[in-house]
Amino acid sequence: MDNKTFYDWFAQTLAGYFKKDWSGALLAVVILAIAIELVTDGRSFFHPSNLMTILNNSAALGVIAGGMTLVILTAGIDLSVGSVMGMTAALTGYVASYWGFPPVLAVLFGIGLGLSIGLIHGTLVARFGMPAFIVTLAGLSIWRGTGHLTTGAQATPKLDSLFDFFGRYNPLSPLREGYREATLPEFLMPLGQWVDANWLEYFRTFQMSLVIFIVFFIVLGLIVKHTKLGRYTYAIGSNEQGSRQAGINVRLYKTLAYVICSFTAAFGALMFLGRAPYAKSDYGQMWELDAIAAVVIGGTSLFGGRGSILGTFLGVILLKLINNGLTLAQLNTFWQMIVLGMIILLAVGIDIVRQNASPERIKQVLFAIGAATLLFAAMHPASSYFGSLIALHEHQSMQAILDAGGQLAPNQMTRLLDSDALIAVQAVVSSQALLAWGLLIATIAGFVMVGSPSRMRALVLGGVIVASAVGLMLQGLPGFPVLMLGLVTVLGSLMTDDLFQRAKAVH
Amino acid sequence: MKSFVKMIAAGAVAASVSLTALAGGHSKITVGYITKSATNAGWIMINNGASDAAKEVGAKLITVGPAFQGDLSSQLEVFENLTSQGVSAIAVAPVDSSGIAPAVKAAMDAGIPVVAVDTGVSGAEVTSFVATDNEAVAEIQGQEAAKLIQDGDKIIYVTGNQAQSTGQERRDGFMKGFKQSRPNSEILIVPTEWDSNQAQAGVEALINNHSDVKMIVNAWDGGTMGAKAALENLGYGAGDVKLVGFDGATDAIVAMDEGWVHVDTAQMLYKMGYEGVKAAVAAAKGETVSKRIDTGTFLVTPDTSAEYKKLIGM
Repeated sequence: MDNKTFYDWFAQTLAGYFKKDWSGALLAVVILAIAIELVTDGRSFFHPSNLMTILNNSAALGVIAGGMTLVILTAGIDLSVGSVMGMTAALTGYVASYWGFPPVLAVLFGIGLGLSIGLIHGTLVARFGMPAFIVTLAGLSIWRGTGHLTTGAQATPKLDSLFDFFGRYNPLSPLREGYREATLPEFLMPLGQWVDANWLEYFRTFQMSLVIFIVFFIVLGLIVKHTKLGRYTYAIGSNEQGSRQAGINVRLYKTLAYVICSFTAAFGALMFLGRAPYAKSDYGQMWELDAIAAVVIGGTSLFGGRGSILGTFLGVILLKLINNGLTLAQLNTFWQMIVLGMIILLAVGIDIVRQNASPERIKQVLFAIGAATLLFAAMHPASSYFGSLIALHEHQSMQAILDAGGQLAPNQMTRLLDSDALIAVQAVVSSQALLAWGLLIATIAGFVMVGSPSRMRALVLGGVIVASAVGLMLQGLPGFPVLMLGLVTVLGSLMTDDLFQRAKAVH
Repeated sequence: MKSFVKMIAAGAVAASVSLTALAGGHSKITVGYITKSATNAGWIMINNGASDAAKEVGAKLITVGPAFQGDLSSQLEVFENLTSQGVSAIAVAPVDSSGIAPAVKAAMDAGIPVVAVDTGVSGAEVTSFVATDNEAVAEIQGQEAAKLIQDGDKIIYVTGNQAQSTGQERRDGFMKGFKQSRPNSEILIVPTEWDSNQAQAGVEALINNHSDVKMIVNAWDGGTMGAKAALENLGYGAGDVKLVGFDGATDAIVAMDEGWVHVDTAQMLYKMGYEGVKAAVAAAKGETVSKRIDTGTFLVTPDTSAEYKKLIGM
């Protein structure tokens, strides 16, 4: 009986969790973090100082994505944030370095710039009814050009230390210095000593970037949840006509969304300057895509009216987690791009399934994750096998041209292998063939089974995963832990129906 | 949007060519100079060299950049426009070595000399190729960097774009030069697309998890400055982790004076643009021009930095 209550509670909690807009993003963050932890060596991925580094490097983009969330909630879009960020960064640094503006004035100037640009965008969209996509696409070009023109696209010297307070400044450093110079009041000395002793391990990466980032999201979250501005933003996004009829000043609140968005772009620029080596007008290129991706991964609908600030926070973390984790894992650059895309698909896939929740769909996602872990496991043997196979084929084709008396261009010449390389390549081809093909066929079979998952198929897929894991271990290749993750997910599908029934029964 | 920009670029070329025809008379030599970027610090130096050379020999220089960095189609269109307008010679920095080849061939066939600057052309003859050999310079960078550490010390290498030949050659050259004398050193990689922000975030992530890294080598000086910012963000001081640069950019040389950067291999960027346009003018006059002009390299160390600064007028 007791056992059953726990099971009910578990089903209920799970159903409640997946009602949240941000559940897909959080799940993807957790899965990815565990996967990274399993494949990296050296210091634990979950080490606080690494997590703080991720937050520090997410901060500038994060703040901008926060502003973007508001615009997207009104069913709008702002493609100009990257350019506004770049121009603000460049001009703020420029007036501080070359026009003798005191740093504080330069900062105010930058923020003023952001607010004015937002007002222009907002007015064009809300008052003159121009499509947001077009207005901000024009902005993307205009503001980038203005930034390049006014600063000559040249970097500034290193900026004043005031900018450090938006970025690299460590709020604990006075404690540490005070302790080292013995100028701290007596009662703070033990604290100072503790901070100093754990400086490298823990406190070094506790910086203003992450402090501002977190505070900003708490404030923005409260605004969106508890003020008129927030409620009206959702209302306008889900039904603009209806909102107008209900007496909401649609123009005002739409304009405000763009003002806030450009403000966050300008503020993001200041935060970026706090960590960057200098100010330059090519900062923030393609950031509009990253910001929009973070918002959408976080479960906010591109059509407006549905979404959350917490989701965007998690979306930003997910994007930066991917960068950080893949760098730590020292994965090949081109593989990183592919993995990045797949993880984004996973996060958004979870979100879609969540919305039309049926046990069938959930099982499909679980199967897909299982099949994806097989693909990850296949990556290493398959890329070395196919790489060698292709090199061998290229060699033979070039040799054939030579044998037929043809000429080779220089970059064709490099495809010819010398005898040592030929032997090495042939050795890889013969030793990895079985494993590579086996894993690939298993992966394809796994994805095919996603079509109609069943109890039987879950057991088969689980068996294949175990067999693959053994195969990898025998060859001394990495990937065992990731496969175990996949096994757990696939076996989880056995419980889906039951959990669903219970969650329903409680309601 | 793109075709609109191209139209403007094409219009600008047409306008400036006809203006030249009106103002310059027929004896003046006109060189079309197609650059890769007008905003990148390195390219600004190359472009300055090009325009100074034109002033010096009294030639008219028409400078045209692509709509955005790496835009082959607009570069091809500009190239064809210049050819049909009948400029005396063309100096070009191709965004794509083989993509530009048909246009180069058409110009050469029409009797217009073509000088390739910085990046070579594969699949067509050019009058001259003026550049530094990236791989050779990177090999020197690797050899010099190796001297800064012991064999077995862990290092970080910040790459350029690995989908471009420049990025690949610098990486291959460095690995070759470095591994000769330091075969047991572990090399951690930070991949970038020539973006100093990627360099900074990547170095920060790695240094955090590998506190025993002794040196950070960079494929270009934007990466050097990003790596320096990462070290500063983590509270390191000058010299705690050695930095090695590539390009000899002014901010990296300043960082060398402060003790951060220990070795930098400079391409003679200004000289590249300067020699490129001079070769184009000489060819237009019918003089013989060397097929390959190596603009060389300058090894900048704290000992030689004063000499280098004098050379580039810093």
